[in-house]
Amino acid sequence: MTITTKRRRWGGYVIIIITTVVIRLLDQPHGDLPAIGKLLDPVNGCLANAERTTRDFGSAKKIAQLQGNASVMYDERLVPHIRAVSDHDLYFLQGYIHASFRLWQMDMQTRAAAGRVSEVVGEKTFEYDRKQRRKGMLYAAERSLAAAEADSRTKVMLDAYTEGVNAFIGTLSYGDYPLEYKLMSFAPEPWTNLKCVLMLKYMADDLSGKTDDIAHSYLRTVLPAEDFDLLYPDKISGSTPVIPRGTAYPTRTLPEIAAPADSIAFPSYRSSDFGERSESGKGSNNWALGPSKTASGAAILCNDPHLALNLPSVWFEVQLTGKDMNVYGASMPGAPGVVIGFNDSLTWGLTNNYRDVKDFYQIYGAEGDASSYMFGGERRKFDLRIEEIKIKGKPTFNDTMRYTLHGPVMYDEHYNEKGSLKNTLAVSWMGHRGSNELLAIYMLNRARGYTEFVDAILHFECPAQNIIYADRRGNIALWGQGQYVNKWKGQGKYVMNGSDSATLWRELIPMNENPHTLNPETGFLSSANQNVTDSSYGYWYNGDFTELRAWRINDVLGGMQHATVEDMFGLQNDNYSVLASKTLPLMLWYCKDVNSKYLDTLRQWDYRLTMNGTAATIYQLWWRNLYSDIWKDEFSAVPGYVIPLPERTMQLMLADSTLKYYDSKRTAKKEVLRDMVLRSLKETTDSLQQLEKSYGLAWYRSKNTSATHLTKIAAFSYDSLKTGGWGNTVNAMKGGHGPSWRMVVEMGKEIEAWGVYPGGQSGNPGSKYYADYLQNWVEGKYYKLVFLPGTQAADKRIKYTWAINK
Amino acid sequence: MKLIITIVSIAVLSGVVSLFAPWWSVALVSFVVSLLLVQRPGRSFVAGFAGAGLWWLVAALYRDIPNDHLLSGRMAQLFHLPNGGAFIAITVVVGGLIGGLGAWAGGQLKKP
Repeated sequence: MTITTKRRRWGGYVIIIITTVVIRLLDQPHGDLPAIGKLLDPVNGCLANAERTTRDFGSAKKIAQLQGNASVMYDERLVPHIRAVSDHDLYFLQGYIHASFRLWQMDMQTRAAAGRVSEVVGEKTFEYDRKQRRKGMLYAAERSLAAAEADSRTKVMLDAYTEGVNAFIGTLSYGDYPLEYKLMSFAPEPWTNLKCVLMLKYMADDLSGKTDDIAHSYLRTVLPAEDFDLLYPDKISGSTPVIPRGTAYPTRTLPEIAAPADSIAFPSYRSSDFGERSESGKGSNNWALGPSKTASGAAILCNDPHLALNLPSVWFEVQLTGKDMNVYGASMPGAPGVVIGFNDSLTWGLTNNYRDVKDFYQIYGAEGDASSYMFGGERRKFDLRIEEIKIKGKPTFNDTMRYTLHGPVMYDEHYNEKGSLKNTLAVSWMGHRGSNELLAIYMLNRARGYTEFVDAILHFECPAQNIIYADRRGNIALWGQGQYVNKWKGQGKYVMNGSDSATLWRELIPMNENPHTLNPETGFLSSANQNVTDSSYGYWYNGDFTELRAWRINDVLGGMQHATVEDMFGLQNDNYSVLASKTLPLMLWYCKDVNSKYLDTLRQWDYRLTMNGTAATIYQLWWRNLYSDIWKDEFSAVPGYVIPLPERTMQLMLADSTLKYYDSKRTAKKEVLRDMVLRSLKETTDSLQQLEKSYGLAWYRSKNTSATHLTKIAAFSYDSLKTGGWGNTVNAMKGGHGPSWRMVVEMGKEIEAWGVYPGGQSGNPGSKYYADYLQNWVEGKYYKLVFLPGTQAADKRIKYTWAINK
Repeated sequence: MKLIITIVSIAVLSGVVSLFAPWWSVALVSFVVSLLLVQRPGRSFVAGFAGAGLWWLVAALYRDIPNDHLLSGRMAQLFHLPNGGAFIAITVVVGGLIGGLGAWAGGQLKKP
């Protein structure tokens, strides 16, 4: 062998080594960076997710697991209309289809519910996961799973759905994985029934998992009782409750319990760190008009639940047609059935019912015995439960949780919101109880009239919902439905002393005693997260209610005659601000001597927060400054910044211009409302001038309504959507929250329905169906929904068909 | 002429092999082809780069064009590139580089 041969061999080996190293580097993820080589591979990498815009979704399929023949027809908007004979086949196909369009979303949302995100993301989500476990989310889901599997109907539903999801996962190889798996470098895992329940618990936590107990305890220490009641009334005056005044509420059968004299606990914390700032104006609208109010003489029902505006959307439209059911509506990827929609007899909608079903308890350890706590003068052992939190790239973290009679100990010396909370607090949450909301969905999807509707919703325990109803016979009804505890007055409004046995949640209120009404004389019903009843309802409760949207809706509907579906579209997209209409005249009156082009704009305004409106931006900014100026000096230390509601502030402003809270603590002068208004105007003018120099005063730019991908990746998200409205207008378009599904159903001889949601059926950012509804949603336009009668075979609106043989 | 034959061979074989082999198989194909069609190492690299890049370009466009550049546009935004075309270009360069390196190694071993 010559020297040159040797040298070139060596050269060759070196290059082979370099090549191998480069390949290895590109084949592995590095931190948040995905495996670039794998990702760029045009065969199985991200480009494999580039869906043909002309893709034919139809095919002949053979699915061995089915019990009979079935078909799936997709309409032009890619809504699947699933037909099968047995429940098993229907829910199997729903699972299979949910997974084929939304698998990664289903995976992530159930991980988020369970506190299992760190397994695939790593350390940075550890605190999030831990909080989920601490809240008892997994524990809650396990208990509800037991309840769901104990009922033969929901057992079939869950088993079949899970089987369907797993059948789809079984068809996948790396190239077929949803794009996000490739970007985040993990793989789908088998689906389970528990995950379906976790999806429902995720919603329960989102809708009923917030409570102001800790803030209220704090407020009791800093405010005289009468001030507390003035600023934070249980029932705001002038409320138009969900179940209207004058309704004969069901008679109370459980005895009234006397409130214990001293049951409040006052946890201590470094309040500046504690809790999340609550976002007001989160909620939903629904209403129904009876035949006397509509032009057609048929009942009309409308619903728009306000949820996080994420992509992929929280909803997926579907029609399920079986031997005893023909139902259409919004389903939740990750769970079987239709959550909001209509069948061939009736239609229903949901808004959140904010009655408080989550309470905190201060726990007192038994002296000299770390394994026990005090309750009713006796020692009791904690039940222990180990939460195993897996973390990518790190050792598993085992959190030993202690459970009390009240529920899990959420906060203690090991977990205390960054060290701010000094006490041991346990939490009682209705969601911890084993309830079977899936059965409510199962029965609701099949219900044929009011009685069956009621039978169905009585299984809907948590999250409590205002469930509205309309049917083809022209009946309308509304229930403030959920499972509640017979509480003594004030129970659970503050953190309670957990060692006092009188604070324990005792008897459950029989659910047929929940407030409800059928066919009221006014001819219409509505709910928008306001107070549920007036004070004549037999049981005491408190909650996180807001009134502004309800006032507007009831005002508009009360005056409406011969209503059409177009009127309904109009009301769902209504941007009229009740808050502005009541507060602005007063604010302007205090400024009548001030010269300002901004004030000139406001003086001619019609109180509508229109998309391009500059008055909207001026008012909103001014109001925000004024609202904050009034409360911030006294209340900035309240945990979670729980300050009096805007509507309460509005009432106080109109009633009393010299309230002591207008006086700023930082100045010697005694200030009144007028000073607050003028000062906030000055602050606002400065900000507006800045704003004009940057992107102008168009309202949509200022509030920035966005539909954001769950990963927050900007390339998969849409911001600065051209929408009007705000959380306190009927068109509740906030920054990241808004009408997640707008639905209008007219229950005539022929059922006609319209709907739209911010997103599209496909969860794949590489599909043209990813966000194809978004623009129409932004513009307040609707799609006519294709509701196929159970018997009909073909329809010209059907674009693709799966003929499925067993 | 030999260069062109090498490029085409690498491109075609890479395409066939990619149906069952992982993404880095372009390096292996380029390596083997340059052992068989011996050229100076520099020319081998060029052939590998062009051949593998060509295959990745064809495969990428096969996905990108019927997709109306939806995905490549989003990926470009994700990686702060001006447009989908730039994303495809990066793809081609990475494929080319891997192919080039493989071919270069082969060329070096069999240097004439």
